Amino acid sequence: MKKHILVFLFSVLMLFSVSNKLIAQETKQGEAKTEVVQNNEIEKVEHELPNPLMVLPFVILLIMIATGPIFYHHFWEHHYPKISVVLGTITAAYYWFILNDTHSLLHTAAEYFSFIALLASLFFASGGIMIKVDKKATPLLNVSILLFGAVIANLIGTTGASMLLIRPFIKINQDRMKPYLVVFFIFIVSNIGGALTPIGDPPLFLGFLRGIDFFWFFEHIWYIWLPTIILITTIFYFIDIRNKGDETEKEYTGKIEFKGAKNLIYLLIILLAVFVDPNVMSWVPNLSPSPIGLREIIQFSVVLFAIKTSDKEILRYNEFDVEPIREVAFLFVGIFATMIPALQLISYEANLLGDKLTAGMFFWSTGLLSGVLDNAPTYLNFLSAAMGKFGLDINSQADVKEFMMLDVIFLQAISVAAVFFGAMTYIGNGPNFMVKSIVERAGIKMPSFFAYVYRYSLPILIPLFILVWLVFYF
Amino acid sequence: MKTIDEVLNDNGGGLYYGNRVLLPFKAEILKIVIDSDIITDFSKELKGASVRATDAYTEIYFYDYKDLEEELSKYDIIKIVLVQSGDDLFDFNNHIPIELSIESKHKLSIKKISDDIIFFE
Repeated sequence: MKKHILVFLFSVLMLFSVSNKLIAQETKQGEAKTEVVQNNEIEKVEHELPNPLMVLPFVILLIMIATGPIFYHHFWEHHYPKISVVLGTITAAYYWFILNDTHSLLHTAAEYFSFIALLASLFFASGGIMIKVDKKATPLLNVSILLFGAVIANLIGTTGASMLLIRPFIKINQDRMKPYLVVFFIFIVSNIGGALTPIGDPPLFLGFLRGIDFFWFFEHIWYIWLPTIILITTIFYFIDIRNKGDETEKEYTGKIEFKGAKNLIYLLIILLAVFVDPNVMSWVPNLSPSPIGLREIIQFSVVLFAIKTSDKEILRYNEFDVEPIREVAFLFVGIFATMIPALQLISYEANLLGDKLTAGMFFWSTGLLSGVLDNAPTYLNFLSAAMGKFGLDINSQADVKEFMMLDVIFLQAISVAAVFFGAMTYIGNGPNFMVKSIVERAGIKMPSFFAYVYRYSLPILIPLFILVWLVFYF
Repeated sequence: MKTIDEVLNDNGGGLYYGNRVLLPFKAEILKIVIDSDIITDFSKELKGASVRATDAYTEIYFYDYKDLEEELSKYDIIKIVLVQSGDDLFDFNNHIPIELSIESKHKLSIKKISDDIIFFE
């Protein structure tokens, strides 16, 4: 089996090597820039642009991520780690041996470790927290939980907030459980809520890692976030008041039980660790060229502490399973590696297209692709394109900082769209599938992939997003 | 042979071998939740699970889980709604929700689903 994989990898590399040379003979290739930090000085290294065919592993991986869990669930469940690693290795080997560009690989590895350290630490820390609410569900109580979830999503991530609140949310609605309750939870807590900070949603965190200021998102998105959240919870309220549920004689104590306080401290450490970055605090040592910095060391330590010390009873109550984070870790190895050529080519092409691209175009294209692909890589691709429009390079932190100041509307449109449209499908954002899985483990049948889209996303979210577009980007 | 209630009161257990689960009572199974799969179709299509009840035991074969020990995590449980064979299937009071946990050496613990676990019939 291993021998076959090696032969396959070698053949693919040979194919790309030959086609790269042919293309290079016919057209003058552009160049990609990568920022390298040496002795605390930033140096831009220029490399040959990749062969356009090298986008194929990325496209194949995204298509498989979108279709695997739905159309060939059990095959995907067993083989996704191998598929992701093999596709990622093809791109990595191409960069290493054919383009001789190790800088892009190192840069990407550092970004991957930052990304996975944050997600894993939030996942393990929030998995050891239990909230039990013994109250009778009312539309007002549900709205309050959703609003609370939207706010804390910005502090503990949409993943953390979803894991923390989905169980109490379905528990209090036990006698009036309907799929729309979970769908609105996915809309608000698992997606739209987390648009205000880089911790909120993975795409924004990737932007932060590229150099966007932590508070930029709050400063420039709150006035879009607030009316959207108010509108969607109002829609929810009017649907929810029609749900009378089953008549029950059950008595409620009104008690709210909370367990796992030490994990709250872990969450606080994770949050503070986000700022432990040489670019934010000058005293933080730069461990370059190591792809793991002090921030990641702290966050990975939290993972270890959470595994060792989380209350077993709480983990059992939460039916804690490492599979969701294992899946994210493996899939994103492939995504991060295979998207390097896509990012560089998009940036280059957008640079050529220039003024033809408007903020509205970025809003819709980022959004629609974020809905059907994972929103994190989509965000980076369109950020790369928007920066390319101004001749700036996403791989340069100085360029990202310049872009952040230069034209707020483009970065805002991409950020809002990536986060908001992540709610369009189960695969738009990581927590969507996790929530679906938790709810199904409780025995609740959720709408199919397409039913979710045509019953909920199209009639509720699309009109809302058109409104956002008309007001802010038309 | 014991009834479901007797097994639950005595903290009795079942067995599992690969994808086969053996429960020490005779029961009608209405719903199974394993991982995030909800199985309610026990017809002969080779999909989901098949169930066979004999006078000595009830057995379940999971088609999509070849080795339960390997595929279920430490905190994973299999949730089942069942009715004691012979009891009125149409009376909801006879519906018993149970949880199965994989233990070592092919042992399967059988418990009534506690109030802490969220489960919808």
